[in-house]
Amino acid sequence: MSTNLLEIRGLNKRFGPTHANVDIDFTLKRGEIRGLIGENGSGKSTLISIIAGLYPRDSGAITLGGAEYSPRSPLDANAHKVSMVMQELGVVGTLPAGVNVFLGHTRQFTEAGVINLNALNKAATKVFERWGLPKVPLNRLTDGMMIEMRKIIELARALSVEPDVLLLDEITQSLSMNNRELLYELLTRLKDMGKSVVVVTHDVDELIRITDTITVLRDGRVVGSVESAATSADEIKLMMVGRRIEGDYYRSDLAPDYSDEVALRVDGLTVDGEITNVSFELHRGEILAFCGLSDSGIHSVGKAVYGLSKRLRGTVKLNSSELRSATDALRRNVAYVPKDRDNEALMIRDDILSNFVLPSLDTLKGALGYLAPQRLRALALKMTAKLSVKCTDINQVMDSLSGGNKQKVNLGRWLAKSPELLILDCPTRGVDVGVKAYIYSLMLEAKRSGAAILLISDELTEALGMADRLVVMKGGKITRVIRRDEDFTEQSVIAVMV
Amino acid sequence: MKKLKLQDVVPFAAFIVIFVFFTIASGGKMLSAYNLRILLDQSMITIVVGLGVLFVAAQGSIDLSVGVNVAFSGVLATHISLRLSAPWLLIPAALAISAAVGLVIGVIVSKLKVSSFMTTIAMLIGIRGVVNYIQTKIGVEYLDVSLKILNEPYVKIPLFIAVTAVMAYLFEFTKLGRYSRAIGENETTARSVGVPVEKMKIAVFLLSGLLAGVGAIFTLISVGGSTNTMGNFLEMKVAMAIFLGGVLVTGGASARIYKVLLGAFSITIIVNGLALIGKSESQISETVEGILLLLILYAATAAARRDRRRSVKQAVASETSATEST
Repeated sequence: MSTNLLEIRGLNKRFGPTHANVDIDFTLKRGEIRGLIGENGSGKSTLISIIAGLYPRDSGAITLGGAEYSPRSPLDANAHKVSMVMQELGVVGTLPAGVNVFLGHTRQFTEAGVINLNALNKAATKVFERWGLPKVPLNRLTDGMMIEMRKIIELARALSVEPDVLLLDEITQSLSMNNRELLYELLTRLKDMGKSVVVVTHDVDELIRITDTITVLRDGRVVGSVESAATSADEIKLMMVGRRIEGDYYRSDLAPDYSDEVALRVDGLTVDGEITNVSFELHRGEILAFCGLSDSGIHSVGKAVYGLSKRLRGTVKLNSSELRSATDALRRNVAYVPKDRDNEALMIRDDILSNFVLPSLDTLKGALGYLAPQRLRALALKMTAKLSVKCTDINQVMDSLSGGNKQKVNLGRWLAKSPELLILDCPTRGVDVGVKAYIYSLMLEAKRSGAAILLISDELTEALGMADRLVVMKGGKITRVIRRDEDFTEQSVIAVMV
Repeated sequence: MKKLKLQDVVPFAAFIVIFVFFTIASGGKMLSAYNLRILLDQSMITIVVGLGVLFVAAQGSIDLSVGVNVAFSGVLATHISLRLSAPWLLIPAALAISAAVGLVIGVIVSKLKVSSFMTTIAMLIGIRGVVNYIQTKIGVEYLDVSLKILNEPYVKIPLFIAVTAVMAYLFEFTKLGRYSRAIGENETTARSVGVPVEKMKIAVFLLSGLLAGVGAIFTLISVGGSTNTMGNFLEMKVAMAIFLGGVLVTGGASARIYKVLLGAFSITIIVNGLALIGKSESQISETVEGILLLLILYAATAAARRDRRRSVKQAVASETSATEST
């Protein structure tokens, strides 16, 4: 048997006038972990979507295990032992977790036209156990589950077909640190079993750490492939953008630097089952980062401060008066960027303009509550230009933008108000290095102008790179607060986080 | 450049086809001054009530209580105004009663979290019973002659235009309209931005109730009195008009004021046209009406599906072109 499992020769794919994949050659060995990287829009999602049977190719040849391979659908790809976890969330919210694991494969549990849920859940439990995935309540609807849990369900679905080729599109950015470790172990196990994995991610350092080889795409073409052990993050970045990215994009100063004036004072904040007795102060011009593992409650802190969850106890005071609700926060110039961009932050089927103006309607309205169309347009146009959002027109549907550009709108609509307090939950999730650097520069600009920033991050490097002080949480409680000029290192954070 | 959505074109096309067909089939009778007046008269109530329901539909909810609300507020307000011998009291009474019904529904939907569909169906059945009971007690009542002036075209039409203009302003150019569409697009998003979702839900049902009161007044002045069959099936006609006009059941950005007018005129022309070509009063007319509505709605749905596919394609394409343009 040849060691090459998957071979792609001269593959092309066009979407209308856009040439998404150009003459792609790509070979995947058995037991190989391959990284795929490139800027937003470089064609990597298109490539693995073709392998996964989501789109047909225009031209080129693909063989799988030596035989011609042209999947008609994702299910057909599954039948060939190829499965994928997609970048955008792919669970059906109104179905329980267990059924989502076997979506499209429920016939095996069907008796006389009825799905035997017991048998299905048993089989689902087996999948979770076999691959060492964290437990998920199988009977609960996936609506309302945390984004991470939904990702794990998708992963279980992909693994349930016992894939020879597993395709992972931007999965790690939805996972917290401990579950990332689980995923890394899983990859090693698959490798030992002789299975192959293709990982797409924007995190260069992670990619180098977990893959055997890395293929870089740019403008729909393969720029080259390198051995992970013999490359560096800088080399990869250079290949990705075709130009050198200047130095580090985090801040370079080593001391905290903020005003003494307290902007936000949180005292004894408790949300049932999520966080307990959380107290902290956030000053003007300060970036306060929250880090922790998946059940640490860092994301709940952001929600609770903005007034989106029911506070059991405790107070949240902005400029020493209570923030009562999200509506109150909106009125008092607080900004909140949730982690789940497409489902919680944006109206993805509405146009760019509507998304931009939504938080600013109070400031835009004139006499009799009149929202002048030209004022709305002016705001959207100004911010689209300022953030260089790539779009043909502000009436374009949000969903037709790439991830990085969506995130620019998501963040930019708040910056248009020059907020006093910014709550940013994973603001760089799913964006490429260029946009990432840009978002950091926007954060620093807001900091300089005196805004208080509450940064919640699943990426320790980002938190260390940007924060004045770092709050570490574990099991819903604050375990330590570290200043930028103390022992501000990954080791010291991990020591109190795990 | 704004791409024209097929989904928005189909309702216009349907309107034109219906219009041309019945104009020809009726041998031009449809365009007679007399008939145009009737067309406008028949559309007015559907439009006025629909303008209120549009806010509810924009949020992705539905208000099926408007028909019965027309009857309830109409019958009670007529009775009160006659009882107190204050004919003009009819107007504030009808508005207050209908708004109160809307308020109750709004509170049930937003605070008790019962779906709007179920809540308003329950209202539709429950209040109809109350209306029938009251009507058996008081019988048919006639409006005071002093109110006849309201039915004169030079009063009624400006009144209708004023109501439409106010509602168009509220819907297209104020926070209430924008927030309502945002809730329909994605309620979670609206909440996490800080939109007062509960308050907005109560507000739109209150508004929908209030406009049902306006609808009751329009019905009373054109009929001349109250009966227990007032507003029968009006909720269906209104919902049809909104969906025929091209508003999606999920609401959101697809909800627009002009669509209510377009949909209401389409429905009225179908009903009126069938009457003109002599197919009315026979049972066949309602069947034809049903089939036509189904056809148009099918075309609209198919169009929406195509738009969606196109936007997905565009999404993947712009993913790539975004880099090419750097």
